[in-house]
Amino acid sequence: MKTSYLFLISMLFIILSCASDDSSMFSTGVNNGNGSEGSGGNVDDTDSGGAASNWTIPIDEVVDGGPGKDGIPSIDNAIFLEAGDARVNNYMEDDDLVVGIVRGNVAKAYPHRILDWHEVVNDDVFGDKITISYCPLTGTAFGWESSVDNRYSEFGVSGLLYNTNLILYDRASDSNWSQLKLECVNGEFIGSKPKVADVLETTWKLWKEMFPETKILSNEQGFSRKYTVYPYGDYKQDDEFLLFPVSKIDNSIPNKDRVHVIISVDSAKVFEFSNFGNGKAIKSQFLSNDILIIGDQKMINSYIIGSQYINLVFEYDFSTPDYYFKDNEGNKWNVLGTAVDGPRKGEKLATTSSLMSYWFAIPPFFSKIEIY
Amino acid sequence: MSHLSLFLVVILFISKKSQAQTCCSGGVPLSNNIGLPLAEKGILQIGVSYDYNNLNTLNEGSTRLDDSNRLRVTHSLLLNLGYSITTRFSVEALFSWVNQRRRIITNNTLSQSSGVGDAILLTRYLLLNKNDMTLSIGGGLKLPTGATDKKSDLGITLNADLQPGSNALDAIFLTSVSKQFNFRKSLTFSSRITYRNTGVNREYQNVNRYKFGNETQLFFSITDQFIVFNKIVSPSLTLKHRRVLHDEINSKQISNTGGQWLFLNPSLSIGLAENINFLSSLEVPIYINVEGIQLTPTYRLNFGVLIQLFKEKSRMKIIRKLMTQ
Repeated sequence: MKTSYLFLISMLFIILSCASDDSSMFSTGVNNGNGSEGSGGNVDDTDSGGAASNWTIPIDEVVDGGPGKDGIPSIDNAIFLEAGDARVNNYMEDDDLVVGIVRGNVAKAYPHRILDWHEVVNDDVFGDKITISYCPLTGTAFGWESSVDNRYSEFGVSGLLYNTNLILYDRASDSNWSQLKLECVNGEFIGSKPKVADVLETTWKLWKEMFPETKILSNEQGFSRKYTVYPYGDYKQDDEFLLFPVSKIDNSIPNKDRVHVIISVDSAKVFEFSNFGNGKAIKSQFLSNDILIIGDQKMINSYIIGSQYINLVFEYDFSTPDYYFKDNEGNKWNVLGTAVDGPRKGEKLATTSSLMSYWFAIPPFFSKIEIY
Repeated sequence: MSHLSLFLVVILFISKKSQAQTCCSGGVPLSNNIGLPLAEKGILQIGVSYDYNNLNTLNEGSTRLDDSNRLRVTHSLLLNLGYSITTRFSVEALFSWVNQRRRIITNNTLSQSSGVGDAILLTRYLLLNKNDMTLSIGGGLKLPTGATDKKSDLGITLNADLQPGSNALDAIFLTSVSKQFNFRKSLTFSSRITYRNTGVNREYQNVNRYKFGNETQLFFSITDQFIVFNKIVSPSLTLKHRRVLHDEINSKQISNTGGQWLFLNPSLSIGLAENINFLSSLEVPIYINVEGIQLTPTYRLNFGVLIQLFKEKSRMKIIRKLMTQ
């Protein structure tokens, strides 16, 4: 009998050894996010990251998406291919959507196919540190400067969602940033706004026609992922399929229709692809600004019409990739709003603060919405 | 033989119901741990065990990806109680305490929750016990006794997969058969199938309905018994097939959930005393085919003791007699 007890005690010791694989399950186990574990927190629930308890958004509307912080890995050392590289054809099709950015003489394209799996790319564009983020659940992309309080910081995927939209975290302070709210919502820099960089969304075919020298994210980023596979099943097509709660649903437009949205604080003006047919220029107003929206079935972009341009009559003209619209003075403007030909050559229309999005994502974030 | 036919029909029925894939691989091994050994009338069985489930394998379909950045671990303490009311009818209960962990290796971030997990109540009926063959069926419920509102220290409710409980009432069906042969009486071949028809958590994230995928598990085991240093030692080898359907949210299938697995499970039971057995097992996947991309089990360990009380006959004496034949 003695040997039996001795055996039982030995086994208990082995069990406890196994239990200590990743710190004792009975310990408090709070992690400080810097690679070492500290103490504190409570026994039942531990998590790491910007431990500040204050949020600018209702915390009960923030959800854990499942993979955890950095469980969806950001791309921090992005590898690009030239547009003409034959390898691009291995993972890109002409109608695939890309998020594009142009700085100086550098154009870069970030395919949805790759962003679906990584959501955040910390990149350098023409010497500027830029973070491209894309939330596959709301279909929203932004570029913003990779800085916090004027210090360089990469951003990562926090694993949290607010109104089913991506919450990023900055690696300098561990603060959490709501992508669509464009605000630090928790942590040291709570209330801060990111410095937004203009991005465009269109098809790969159109982008490379407009910017033949563009680079595109390679499908070999050092991660074991198959980028030709969309990871969310029917999500893009099924209007009734939402994975996480949203605080408000508006059935004015089908949930998953992609719309162009001009935003300012709590106001938004929404344009649908159906507004533009095969190509159209629309003059409208948003808050106190005159705005110009140019679109077709592949791309919509919008500009602020300054007082010096108020009498111009604009017209969609995308007969060549060199320009996107023209006016009654004979000026021809490219998609970035720069006059590339005509008496105003070199002048530039200011772009609006805008984005492409699934429609359902807009009402929870903006209380004053006007649908054109 | 008609009982054997019934067993096969039940297996066929259950297999057809769970048409294909299934779900996430994490979680508490409740249906893995039901099915105490059949015992004689009046015997109370108490099993106490510790289960360690390590998920550090990222698979896309049947392909293992070179990415071990995410580690999911479930520690479970399990209390299994069984009582044989008659020679044919027994009841069984399984209670759990669970510690769920998710660690991201690159940034060493840990999220976890702990607490009482869900429980299972099961009844079993011995249909056949003759010619060294037994056949039993059972059914029961998995009760939502575990919490599903555990939060991180940021105050954010953890994902369903990281909660100790499921907040859903599941129906469980079990059938098992075992057979011994004259050429070696201590050698037992057995098979067991469990089917869990999962209920719906109607309060997931307060507004959503979440359903884990239905699960079918099929076990084939071979067990023998030896006397080593005056102890009864029973090594066993089990092949387990697990099939899980997609999880659903608001009746929509969730991608990257569900799949099928084949596990090899060597185990060892040592009779420490006449009515106390030490049990240990290791489970490793030998085939994985998940839906989409999923973190999937790397290995599982289980240790425990099984105590039989109010025993009328000495099992040891019976075994000794068999061994000397």
